Amino acid sequence: MNNEIFVELKNIRKVFGSVVALDDVNFSVLKGEIHGLLGENGAGKSTLMNILYGLYSPDKGEIYIEGNKVKINSPYDSIKLGIGMVHQVSTLVPQFNAIENIILGTSEDKYRLKIEEEREKIKNISKDLGLEFPLDVKVKDLSAGLKQKIEIVRAIYRGAKLLILDEPTTSLVESEFKDLLRTLRSLVKKGVTIIFITHKMREVLEACDRVTILRRGKVQGTLDKEDMTTDNIVKMMFIEKDIKVTESALPKVELPESKKSPKPILELKDVSVESSERSVGLKNISFELYGGEILGVAAVSGNGEKDLAEIIIYPKNLNRGEIYVDGEKINGLSTLQVFSKGVFYTPEDRIKEGILPDGNLKENILLGHHSEDRFLNNKTFIKWDEVRITTVDIIKKFNVYAPSEEIIIRRLSGGNIQKVIMGRAFVNPIKLLVTHNPTSGLDVSTVEFIFEKLVETRGSGSAVLWIGEDLDELMILSDRIAVLYKGELQGIFNRDEFDKYKIGLLMIGGQR
Amino acid sequence: MKDKKILRVILIYFLSILFAFLVISIIVSIFGYNVIKVLKTLLTTSFKTTFGFQETIKKTIPLIFTTYAYTIPFMIKFFNIGGWGQMLFGGTITAVVGLTLPYLGINFPSYIMIPLLIVTGILAGGFFGLIAGFLAAKFDINPIISTIMLNFVAVQFLNFIATNPIYRDPFEGHPITLPLPKSGTLGFIYGVPVSIIFAIISIIFVYVLIKKTKLGYEITAIGHNLDAAQKFGINFQKTILTTFFIAGALAGLGGTFEVINIHKKLIEGFAQTSGAQYGIFGVLTGLIVAGDPVGVPIAAFLMSVLLVGADALQRTMQIPVEMVFLSQALIVLFIVTFRERFLRRT
Repeated sequence: MNNEIFVELKNIRKVFGSVVALDDVNFSVLKGEIHGLLGENGAGKSTLMNILYGLYSPDKGEIYIEGNKVKINSPYDSIKLGIGMVHQVSTLVPQFNAIENIILGTSEDKYRLKIEEEREKIKNISKDLGLEFPLDVKVKDLSAGLKQKIEIVRAIYRGAKLLILDEPTTSLVESEFKDLLRTLRSLVKKGVTIIFITHKMREVLEACDRVTILRRGKVQGTLDKEDMTTDNIVKMMFIEKDIKVTESALPKVELPESKKSPKPILELKDVSVESSERSVGLKNISFELYGGEILGVAAVSGNGEKDLAEIIIYPKNLNRGEIYVDGEKINGLSTLQVFSKGVFYTPEDRIKEGILPDGNLKENILLGHHSEDRFLNNKTFIKWDEVRITTVDIIKKFNVYAPSEEIIIRRLSGGNIQKVIMGRAFVNPIKLLVTHNPTSGLDVSTVEFIFEKLVETRGSGSAVLWIGEDLDELMILSDRIAVLYKGELQGIFNRDEFDKYKIGLLMIGGQR
Repeated sequence: MKDKKILRVILIYFLSILFAFLVISIIVSIFGYNVIKVLKTLLTTSFKTTFGFQETIKKTIPLIFTTYAYTIPFMIKFFNIGGWGQMLFGGTITAVVGLTLPYLGINFPSYIMIPLLIVTGILAGGFFGLIAGFLAAKFDINPIISTIMLNFVAVQFLNFIATNPIYRDPFEGHPITLPLPKSGTLGFIYGVPVSIIFAIISIIFVYVLIKKTKLGYEITAIGHNLDAAQKFGINFQKTILTTFFIAGALAGLGGTFEVINIHKKLIEGFAQTSGAQYGIFGVLTGLIVAGDPVGVPIAAFLMSVLLVGADALQRTMQIPVEMVFLSQALIVLFIVTFRERFLRRT
């Protein structure tokens, strides 16, 4: 490693709708270093790297590579400039073997694939880097670790001098992580520069030469090797440098006194969900949630928080353990049966999981209530008039800015869509609201509105299970915060024990 | 905003038909026909004579059924290419029941016989549709494949029944069954098949089902967003089964009416001639309405106008019917292309 700058991003700004994803970001990487990029979900890591890789174009700012200003409009440009990216999810063609995947799209000969000629070249690259993998086996039969090696070799084969690894350890087992570390070292020796995106503390400490920490779209700072201590990193990740920014970006909502119910509304006993390709599952989760209480679940995305929400509204998938709602066991019930016990849900991805985009507001409000007697005649015919009255009522109560209940929901703004989704949860009086990232990507006034609704729900004696990605927000509103990491409960904190440092450390896998 | 969209849709259909006719005009003029006369015959035969109109309605009825068979599964993003087979199977089983009862010496009056045969067609077609639905729901087998294969099964089954010594009419040169008993057949009013009443009932049934019932809501919700529908408690597997049953039942009903109202017996050639036409044009018409069941009757009627016009062209001007099939295919292609181009969401 020397002190020559390889890539420099200057004053990058990117806005999605009304949300500032990146604000005046300056970021530079030295030639031949492993540079960690650290931050919570939504901090802007991926957005920044997608800009560098040409998947997004910045609203403002400049990119320099080895001192020359460049314009990157697509991955095609970035590959030509020597930038390679290994995505979180494999982008290999499963039906092809390693060679076919590596040479895919690179052949200059229009009519012939030079598989045999390229075999030697690929073999040499992988031997050089110490990345061994079978060349003739279909990729779908290989492990996640091997697939990743193929992706790295593919990037190098295409001439990458800068390699961006997006959370490369997500699907790796421990021994594969060790392998990856060795690989990165040998890549650096060959003069390749690496950007390593992660949110795991240990990986930063073990793998990176320097680390840059992003928070809420701003660079908090860059630490050199000697300053990289757990202490410094957690402080920068979770505790704002500039306090004024926090105060303006977060709504002010007071958490009033409330009466806790004598018996828990939601009780999980030793709940386990098997891990799968897309999630880590849950391991022996037990907790109680009382009426009049907001329990925040703090987790970096991908640590079982989605399974937690889903297992409560669809307990048919429960492998082990018991779930009780208001003292009744709900194991094996369907979603509608759980809803009938006074539970409702707002999903994580509001567009993909929350709404019928081409449906009007009435159809969207009915979703999840479509089997309730109050909306049905003879259990068959929908009382659309009743649905309309309810929808108009929700529009009013939740300040949905919509010309009428007939409008197609897709035409509303993100905030208004979220209000409809929230409103749907309150069509009937509820005992338990399970809400997953209800505020993500919303402007401050909508966030404030949603906060008020959560506090109101809590005040009415209902329980709220709030799965969130933003620790600041959770700390404002939760009575208690539970931390999930790799599908395991790391601890539950009472409001007087809230400590950004402690909770943040547990979220990224540090020890207490 | 909504009005603007409707205008755009109308414009797309209008332009598609215009373009298709333009291409057809060029082709027929190359062959040396009088273009004006061709177009006039094609479009006005249905309305010029009573017979033409009766023929149009005769084709519209089965086409409505096979178009529904395609459209309803399409609402949950499944392609049912099996309307043809489901119709044949419904028709064949109807003939089997209608012929076996007298064979066994049982003679019901028509007020029992007709409802019995209708229910038979519904159940048989529904069962045939359900096979594809079951394979899709249980084993994730694409209905495009299963329904195409099942079409061949239905054709062979029809042949088997039509040539079966028990049912076959020994005095006919071609494999044709004995005629159904009079109590098991429907007649015509003013030259229009009585089955039109049942077609109208079916139109109302489908409309109410889709727009007013819980099941219709579940189908619509799955079509809009499968993930959200499942998250909020809609059972996808169950809905696949129900939609394929309903699709098959409607197609089967179409087959029943062809047998008891038009042919009054089971004809082997039905599978390849008019049966195949309704099967294939059901898919084509379904492509035009693109999953909107409300448009089905109108689209089926307009399609029939072209089909009747095509027959007339062949009779009066010796232009092969295939020419008209070409224009219909072009209309569909233009509509699908224009729709992709001008209505796609941003």
